[in-house]
Amino acid sequence: MKEVKLHPRDTMTAEERLRAVINLQVPDRVPVSPLIYYFAARYAGINNAELYDPAKFNKALDRVFYDLGPWDIHYYINAYHRELISFFVPMKVLEPGFELPPNSIRQFLEEEIMKEEDYQWIMRVSKLTPRYALYRLFMERWIPRIWEHVGEGWRSYAFMWPRLISAGLRWRLEFERWKRRGVAIMYACPTEAAFDNFSMARGMLKFVEDLRKRQEEIAQAADALVESFVYSFKMVSMITGVKRADLCLHRSSNDFISPETFRKLSLPSLKKLVERFAALGVPTVLHCDGNWDLNLEALRELPAGKAIMQCDGSTNIFKAKEIVGDRICIMGDVPADLLALGSPSEVDEYCHRLIEEVGKGGGFILASGCELAPNAKPENVKVMMESVVKYGYYQDRAAEQARKIA
Amino acid sequence: MSESIASLIAEMEEERTLAQVKEALDAGRDPLSIVEELREGMAVVGKRFEEKEYFLPDLILSAEIFKQAIALIEPHLQAVDTPSRGSIVIGTVQGDIHDIGKNIVATMLRCSGYDVHDLGVDVTPQSFVEKVKETGSGLLALSGLLTLAFDSMKETVQALEKAGLRDRVKVIIGGGPVNETVVGYSGADAYGKDPAEALKLAGIYLG
Repeated sequence: MKEVKLHPRDTMTAEERLRAVINLQVPDRVPVSPLIYYFAARYAGINNAELYDPAKFNKALDRVFYDLGPWDIHYYINAYHRELISFFVPMKVLEPGFELPPNSIRQFLEEEIMKEEDYQWIMRVSKLTPRYALYRLFMERWIPRIWEHVGEGWRSYAFMWPRLISAGLRWRLEFERWKRRGVAIMYACPTEAAFDNFSMARGMLKFVEDLRKRQEEIAQAADALVESFVYSFKMVSMITGVKRADLCLHRSSNDFISPETFRKLSLPSLKKLVERFAALGVPTVLHCDGNWDLNLEALRELPAGKAIMQCDGSTNIFKAKEIVGDRICIMGDVPADLLALGSPSEVDEYCHRLIEEVGKGGGFILASGCELAPNAKPENVKVMMESVVKYGYYQDRAAEQARKIA
Repeated sequence: MSESIASLIAEMEEERTLAQVKEALDAGRDPLSIVEELREGMAVVGKRFEEKEYFLPDLILSAEIFKQAIALIEPHLQAVDTPSRGSIVIGTVQGDIHDIGKNIVATMLRCSGYDVHDLGVDVTPQSFVEKVKETGSGLLALSGLLTLAFDSMKETVQALEKAGLRDRVKVIIGGGPVNETVVGYSGADAYGKDPAEALKLAGIYLG
């Protein structure tokens, strides 16, 4: 494939740049990667329900890319089939155009999808079919409980498999298109880590009870799933052609659990999985929503140069750089409220600070804090994209440093 | 000597708290004083949460114990009304159905002795205004996790102004992306980043 440079001064491709920052090296410039979904609809003047149409979604995203971009890394989240979202977030969901008005935003319901006996089921099935336990958990237990129309047993497989394959192949085609434009792909497929899956699928109140009464089961079931996480990744990676994994950690922040609980129940299986991926030469994107300030020290246990920590604006990203930045690439975190309510100069100032401080010495990706706010001001998004060209070239910084010394 | 009910609930000793409450009731102790002691314990929980000694599961668990203890005490309260620290209307604003945070705040406020009128989720500005009018509440607590909720918060404050109620009602907001900027944008009075801050604000505005 022809090498495409996104900006005239670039000396690296986006893929090379991404690999460099994951390896904690200094790239030519700071890369930028916005997580865009609903913003694209608003910007392109279509309603949120229309994003399920691949043609409309891609057209909307292209418009953002060509008007406000470019960006270095494509960070996608479109499942195209609403039922597939359950593989990512095992909860009942209300969708725009279905249960909600077309311009609403997807919202999840706290219900008991995972039963308490599922912990034992996972351990049993992981012994019998270690590679397939994760798939079986979703196909045989959770999906039928989330979607009545899907049905149980073989019906669940029959319903989900064609959709999984078609989405995977569509992603692959889309990825090829992005690559031709010179954009790198963040990961093969969005995935939720085991502990966080349990928390969401049990529902907050039930899971709080589990944290008291079933700690061992949580830890053992999470550990039992590691092998099938690896195998599932291999399968999806084969379909989508991307060798980077993703683990979302929606319920492991200190907004939900204590640092002790994180160390004891969430980190062990997470660490094992990141190490397994690393051994395969696969880096892991850790989607760290919420405030992780008190978990940062524990993240040092993860293998160095093998992961990205994505911060959403709640974690003190400057502290993250200080505590764990020598081991994990930091990504983030232009906050939603700043992009939605702030002025372009405020966005510019914050991006500049991120690039200077968190980008110091490499190992940094500038990004929106989690998903780009649907009501972000387009002029603010443009400023964010442009900031990596304005401030992000490491050569300029070295020259400035030399000038200062002289 | 038995431990105080306040310290037991603060330590989240579910069974021992409930046993102690039962024992106190059987001994003929004034039920209102037991409620007061439970609230003292909950205040300790709030303080520990603020100091990052306790986390969300601890708040949820202690509130659960509180609820169970109140259920034991209620039959003994007869016609006597428990004194209220003030009335609060709370809800998740229009277009947003997230309710974990809102529910925890509502429970903590109840545990602290406020009359809480929880309107649920996706609440229209008009419904908030009507409830504030009906209850004469002095505090309106708006929750939202989506950035789109900022506009609903603003519209709710505007509806309150239009109804001529803004002067006597304080508005506090909370939820994931909410901060000082959103306070300015929406016209609210203050924001709380967690349940402990919401309690503090209720204390400031209602006493």
